[in-house]
Amino acid sequence: MKKVFAFMLAAVLMLGCLAGCASDTSSDMKYVKDKGTLVVGVTVFEPMDYQDASGEWKGFDADLAKAFAAHLGVDVQFQKIDWGSKVSELDTKTIDVVWNGMTLTDEVLAAMETSNAYCKNAQVVVVKSDVADQYQTADSVKSLKYAVESGSAGKEQVEAMNASFVEVDDQAMALTEVKMGTSEAAVIDLLMAGAMIGEGTDYAELTYTVSLNSEEYGVGFRKGSDLAAELNEFFKSYYASGDMMKLAKEYGVQESIIEQK
Amino acid sequence: MDQFITVVGALNEGFWQTLKLFFFTLIGALPLGLVIAFGSMSKLAPLRWLCRALVWVFRGTPLMLQLLIIFFVPGYLLPGGTPWTGENGRFMASVVAFIINYACYFSEIYRGGIQGVPVGQQEAGQVLGMSKSQIFFKVTLLQMVKRIIPPMSNEIITLVKDTSIARIIALEELIFAGYSFLKGSHGYAGLLWPLFFTGVYYLLFNGILTLFFGWLEKKLSYFRV
Repeated sequence: MKKVFAFMLAAVLMLGCLAGCASDTSSDMKYVKDKGTLVVGVTVFEPMDYQDASGEWKGFDADLAKAFAAHLGVDVQFQKIDWGSKVSELDTKTIDVVWNGMTLTDEVLAAMETSNAYCKNAQVVVVKSDVADQYQTADSVKSLKYAVESGSAGKEQVEAMNASFVEVDDQAMALTEVKMGTSEAAVIDLLMAGAMIGEGTDYAELTYTVSLNSEEYGVGFRKGSDLAAELNEFFKSYYASGDMMKLAKEYGVQESIIEQK
Repeated sequence: MDQFITVVGALNEGFWQTLKLFFFTLIGALPLGLVIAFGSMSKLAPLRWLCRALVWVFRGTPLMLQLLIIFFVPGYLLPGGTPWTGENGRFMASVVAFIINYACYFSEIYRGGIQGVPVGQQEAGQVLGMSKSQIFFKVTLLQMVKRIIPPMSNEIITLVKDTSIARIIALEELIFAGYSFLKGSHGYAGLLWPLFFTGVYYLLFNGILTLFFGWLEKKLSYFRV
């Protein structure tokens, strides 16, 4: 029994040493370059970050992230995360950047070092198509019972209009709630609504009506990271060369792109 | 049909993670549980209380909370940053949480099994001139193994299903793989049936385990006490 105890004590001491011996990194860019990989935190979100049939990451944000990693000279790795844990994932360095059609809300601006806005978006109300004509005004949608993604910009909107709502894991689950009739409406991103619902999609019986706000997407790094400034410079040259618009057209988001200067 | 093949392919990948988590947990928790069981029966009071406190904490809090704490807290506290980086970071964190949690449950089952062997058995060993360790391994342990099989099979079947809790730290196990077809995966989005279909995997695997434990119980039935 003494041996076991001694072993446990040794293990604890070793852990303490490992922690103490590790070097301190002041520059986040240096940290990522030394590591050789940019770990991009995503949820799955068409047309920004999604996987094709072979598992390859595609989408406007995914391709932008690949281009930025190439600019830094590092590999890119996409890591699916739980959206509610995105700040903890950044702070504990299990990911290096949140690049997932992220709305620049007050909460996000306070918790992360963000890039300049690069894409316009709005939060829209999604309802079943057969009742859509009753919900075309901002007043009429206040009485609906909503499903929203927890920690999302959509949740802030339903809170602001004092509607009753339930928080679900992600925007796709919010859409499913409406499709199955367990909630009357959902609030999701306009860019996602454009790509994922309506005729020819798996959510053919849904449509979107009212826009609740207008907002902008940004990319989030760890608080104090120098990568945000680097990305802003990269965005400028990428926009000036016309590559950004070319990429945007590929995914049908060219109307929403914000000029980078 | 194409859809079915794609979905099953993705679910198999998820199930592989589930199986890995299941077996690594057993490999770690079965022996660690025995160590904790000895600790909580030790004559050394501090060690006894330490082990009992450990069991109290890990049985007394939700596994989901333990996963979140083990995954995130080292990143905040260790100056060298989180140990859970890279492809296998989430998996390693899950394995650590599951091993400690399940070792605590197993230790109580072991303790019950050991203390349930009648004292007369040990006395008989002493009379025959066996050493303390001989008595433990050749008399107590063998009878304990037989006694603990029904409660252990209960825990182990629960473990198969508990692996799904690891999705809280985005480990891409079976439920995660099924759920991803709702959000968009492998070119499909808005599919609910893959999530429900994962139930077939759990059922089949637990069916196999049930048969295995039934066989094991019969195999050990010659120890009539």
